[in-house]
Amino acid sequence: MSEKKHRVSRRQFLTYTLTGVGGFMAAGMLAPMVRMALDPALEAGADSDFVSIGLSEDELSEEPQRVDFTVELDDGWYQSEQTQSAWVFRNGDEVMALSPICTHLGCTVNWGTNEENPEEFFCPCHFGRFERDGTNIPGTPPTRPLDVYEVEVRDGMIYLGQINQRD
Amino acid sequence: MKWTGQDTVVYEKAKEYVDTAVIPLLPVAGGKEQQESVLMGEFTQYLTEYLEKQYMGRVYLLPPFTYLKEESGEEKKNRLTAWAAHFEKHGFKYFLFVTADMQWRKINLEEAGELVWIPAFSVHDMEPGKRHQAIEQQAQQIIPLMTQQWT
Repeated sequence: MSEKKHRVSRRQFLTYTLTGVGGFMAAGMLAPMVRMALDPALEAGADSDFVSIGLSEDELSEEPQRVDFTVELDDGWYQSEQTQSAWVFRNGDEVMALSPICTHLGCTVNWGTNEENPEEFFCPCHFGRFERDGTNIPGTPPTRPLDVYEVEVRDGMIYLGQINQRD
Repeated sequence: MKWTGQDTVVYEKAKEYVDTAVIPLLPVAGGKEQQESVLMGEFTQYLTEYLEKQYMGRVYLLPPFTYLKEESGEEKKNRLTAWAAHFEKHGFKYFLFVTADMQWRKINLEEAGELVWIPAFSVHDMEPGKRHQAIEQQAQQIIPLMTQQWT
């Protein structure tokens, strides 16, 4: 066979090879980046961890009570414990757990500490107020209700999951 | 708010709400006194971090004011009042100085702000849950000193 019968010239062959190799290299570099960017999004959809707060359903009343519990944070190979709080109470038939973080600027709210409004959550920083179910009271600095924990009751014990925003 | 990039961004937007500066006062010493000064520093830092966490919408935790143990009272006082005056010019109204160092009790800081002196205990060997509780208990003692200024 003569040289002319080759369908692929030397130049073309080199171009193909280089594009191919280059493409693989680019893919090799991009894949971890894409994976890193997508990873948190994929994980959030997965079943998030519920943590026991050491409180049973019968111990609850209509009056919000504060519970502290620790959550284990996995940050790569570095593990740490973080203390979180929640205000837990019975709201009608369901169990409600509110995050104590004020939606204004992040101070910690307390139940019934304002003498004039004993049946409300009160933020000591800028006097923000929330109703029992966490609804922000108009005319005070916060602009949205307190965040809620996902609640699960297993064998009468209360477990809290991730925190969700409401608007 | 903390002395971090993320928090300064929030601070820029919410300046009018943040009017209280918390400054930890930390003595520094080497040699025989090193252990004690580390213990005081660690305790004060946990305590002020707790305050910051509870009141982050109104309180800015500034970097600690550090000084050598042998620095004279007069000098320390002058430097600290300069800090306070500087931040007062930039919008802070209330100052809370938190320390475990006894020396400050003899120094009059009334013009600059409120001094809180709390005896330190060692926190590094406590398990996290216990430590949190102990720190919270101590913090409850100081919180009124801060919130009273606000009303």
